[in-house]
Amino acid sequence: MSRLELLTPEGLRVDGRRPNELRKIIAKTSVLAQADGSAYIEQGNTKVLAAVYGPQEVRHRMQILHDRAIINVEFNVAPFSTSERKKRSKNDKYDNGIKLQTSQFPRSQIDIYLQVLQHDGGTLQACINAATMALIDAGIPMIDYVCASTAGCIDKQPVLDLNYLEESSDSPELTVAILPRTGKVNLMSMESRLHVDMLESVASLATEGCEQIHTILDAVVRDTTQHLKDSLMQ
Amino acid sequence: MASTIVTPGQRLGYAQDFTAGSGTYERDGLLYASVVGVKKVLKDATSHLETITIVREKEQSAVPSVGSMITGKITKVNPRFASVSINVVDSTPCREDFQGVIRVQDVRATERDKVKIYNSFRPGDIVRAQVISLGDARSYYLSTAQNELGVIFAKSVAGETMIPVSWQEMQCPKTKVIEYRKCAKPF
Repeated sequence: MSRLELLTPEGLRVDGRRPNELRKIIAKTSVLAQADGSAYIEQGNTKVLAAVYGPQEVRHRMQILHDRAIINVEFNVAPFSTSERKKRSKNDKYDNGIKLQTSQFPRSQIDIYLQVLQHDGGTLQACINAATMALIDAGIPMIDYVCASTAGCIDKQPVLDLNYLEESSDSPELTVAILPRTGKVNLMSMESRLHVDMLESVASLATEGCEQIHTILDAVVRDTTQHLKDSLMQ
Repeated sequence: MASTIVTPGQRLGYAQDFTAGSGTYERDGLLYASVVGVKKVLKDATSHLETITIVREKEQSAVPSVGSMITGKITKVNPRFASVSINVVDSTPCREDFQGVIRVQDVRATERDKVKIYNSFRPGDIVRAQVISLGDARSYYLSTAQNELGVIFAKSVAGETMIPVSWQEMQCPKTKVIEYRKCAKPF
């Protein structure tokens, strides 16, 4: 078989993980001084920086919404982020389904800038998680965290959190973003084909991953806010 | 339980037991947090319910609203108005300056038509003023038409801090030159 062995007979993946194992997550908040809120997240070798500016006055008068804020998301992939250095590829924008209480800020604008520093699969999920952390850091009221995770299917075995190698070897990849405390699904996207019989197990694995990510992110947020509690206790 | 850290989406209690304060929201009869911060339960004198509020780590910058007292610095003057860079709102320093203008008709309450901006403010003066309107897109409209409002600190041409001698004059202690300002009444 010429194809790379993505799943060994022992059930381990190319990077030594088990099928239902996430990559190591490192998250930090308040990494940029200029932005109102910022976050940096590493999921394995995927590294994303997010910056939030606002709520602020709307830059273009045309876009003002009189009952809520507009959200402007800019997504950028660094040319040095992949193994082959590329000139600027597609600059696509997607609505990442972040749940904000935008009605609290009428006639204003919230800018979210996402920068992929290193791309190793699962950019969308890393971007969503980074944006959530940056919005929390900015103190913008939110319904809940939005946690995203991917899951795919290799040799009929559902696997969690695909890396670039697994992603690029024609295996389907499903990205799921949920509100962990209510379990509501905010986003579900897949750009390849997956047999319908596998969908349920893949989606539930991704949801499980989201909950694990929520635990990790929540711990980071609580850890960084600890000094606030200490200062108020005095 | 004095205070605990809560994160967005965390359940705080039933809506019938508490009133939702800032940083919280109500959904399906339950109260949830919407920002990261410390939970505070406050006794409300007017209602029998206690209010839950979330005190945020980074307090939002003070924003001028109609009626608030501001302290700022005159940045430029022209015959129609004086521009002010607002530094302090009520008693909270702003994270970044806001722009305001004191129009010639808002300098004082009497003899408005005889007001000359040049005889009321100079660039560099520190003034206390009241916000009368949110103004246009660029600046807040301010007024000094009260006895307690006007210039509270000014330097003379010689560079000395001047002493107010009347409500519209200030004197330089070094050169004894009298300069005109719309002075604030000390309180």
